Amino acid sequence: MIAGSSVTGSAKPALLELVGVSKRFGRAPQETLAVRDLDIAIQPGEFVTLIGPSGCGKSTLFNMIAGLLPPDAQGTILFGGEPQGDGKLLGKVSFMPQKDLLFPWRTVLDNATLALEIEGLPRRAARQRAEALFPEFGLQGFERHYPHQLSGGMRQRVALMRTFLFERDLILLDEPFGALDALTRAIMQRWLLDIWARHRRTVLFITHDIDEAIFLGDRVLVMTARPGTITLDERIDLPRPRDPAVITSEPFMGIKRRLLAILEQESLKSFAVARP
Amino acid sequence: MKAILGSPLGAGAVLALAWLVLVPLLHVPPLILPSLPAIIRDALSVWPALAAGFLRTLLETVLGFVLGAALGVGCGVAFAYARWLERAILPLFVASQTVPVIAFGAIVVIWFGNTLLEKVMIAFYLTFFPVTVNTIRGLRSSDPERLALLRSFGASGWQRFVKLALPSAAPVIIIGLKLGISLSLAGAIVGEWFGATVGLGVMLLQSLYDEQTARVWVLIIACGLLGALLNGAISLAERRFVWWRPA
Repeated sequence: MIAGSSVTGSAKPALLELVGVSKRFGRAPQETLAVRDLDIAIQPGEFVTLIGPSGCGKSTLFNMIAGLLPPDAQGTILFGGEPQGDGKLLGKVSFMPQKDLLFPWRTVLDNATLALEIEGLPRRAARQRAEALFPEFGLQGFERHYPHQLSGGMRQRVALMRTFLFERDLILLDEPFGALDALTRAIMQRWLLDIWARHRRTVLFITHDIDEAIFLGDRVLVMTARPGTITLDERIDLPRPRDPAVITSEPFMGIKRRLLAILEQESLKSFAVARP
Repeated sequence: MKAILGSPLGAGAVLALAWLVLVPLLHVPPLILPSLPAIIRDALSVWPALAAGFLRTLLETVLGFVLGAALGVGCGVAFAYARWLERAILPLFVASQTVPVIAFGAIVVIWFGNTLLEKVMIAFYLTFFPVTVNTIRGLRSSDPERLALLRSFGASGWQRFVKLALPSAAPVIIIGLKLGISLSLAGAIVGEWFGATVGLGVMLLQSLYDEQTARVWVLIIACGLLGALLNGAISLAERRFVWWRPA
């Protein structure tokens, strides 16, 4: 196992650090261990992608980092060097779940400003701040529309805008493009990198798409089948800004082959466990 | 034909036309169903009393409904967030609803006499329960993933209530209000039977004693119009405030 802190290199403290974090659900004997001994460190400004077979506890991990779920007692989550107790992380991390979760009774503009309203920003100021982002998110002219009038890709961009407007150092994205068709997804990936290059937030991005993980990330973390734990921490040294053509380049293929081999092993393991 | 029957007014007109033609054609005895002109003549003959009764019953119904809806939503919110309160009080509410409204009405008359308040209380008594139950159900149905999202933004309990729970509950609460308004009208009419001088319920009782079949039909139609009017008002409010499709 490779500890996240081994790739730090610099003296800067990690923005987010998980030390020996596990999570059990239920009580013995029906207890299940969802994730086990997670050690992850994410540096400020990094784009980290996390990939793993389905059911490896990715969402459990995200809910813990978002502060929605307390980790088991023996592990610690540090944020900005401070250990975070139960619920302390709520409001500190910008969290975007898998589904867009837009509110159907709010316009696109009012959906985008939801987090700002929660923070107590006056509605006027919140709207002004959101309106400035509409061209960049390709939603200009749709401010007064309602979610059901938008396509899947547009809804996802509204949800992303809501996440970006909740200005926190760490952004958690849980398979944000999982439900989109391949073409829209490719466009959204490039667009996300663009936005990230301009705003320079720290991103932790969950996906089950290898191409996506490599194309987007500075680092790819590979998670094992349940109980989930980090089995590989691969630095991606492809130059940025990344061209879509990079996906077919030899270095990309090399990384992909290596990751695929490990992922396949993990998937097989989960099959073997399932069999009596 | 479909277009005519598709609108409530068109369907009403077709029904009136059938009534107009079929009653004389089939020689229906007036005791069973008087002809439409006879009913209209009767309505015109008591027009001032009818209009006054209509307005009076409308007032009783609306007051009882507003009180019942306010208490119903209030209790629904309290019960949805405090389970112990629900366990303590909701069974009493359920028990209260098994008491026949006639029995309840008797004590209300003793308390309030033959006043406007007496009718309002009976209308209120029938309204608050469906509103309470639907408010609880609506508030409990908010999407847990959206709740988690709001929590991750650091939303307080009050913010989660105002920004998510209440709007998600609105379509279900409206169902309770629709049930409530019809029951409130029934309550007002029954309330008038215990004793009143003005109102559709009083006129109904009088025409029953006097065996004025045409008058009974006048009042049936008047009550039906009143009910349709009130239901329409709620539907209008629904279209205005609870128009969204769940996403």
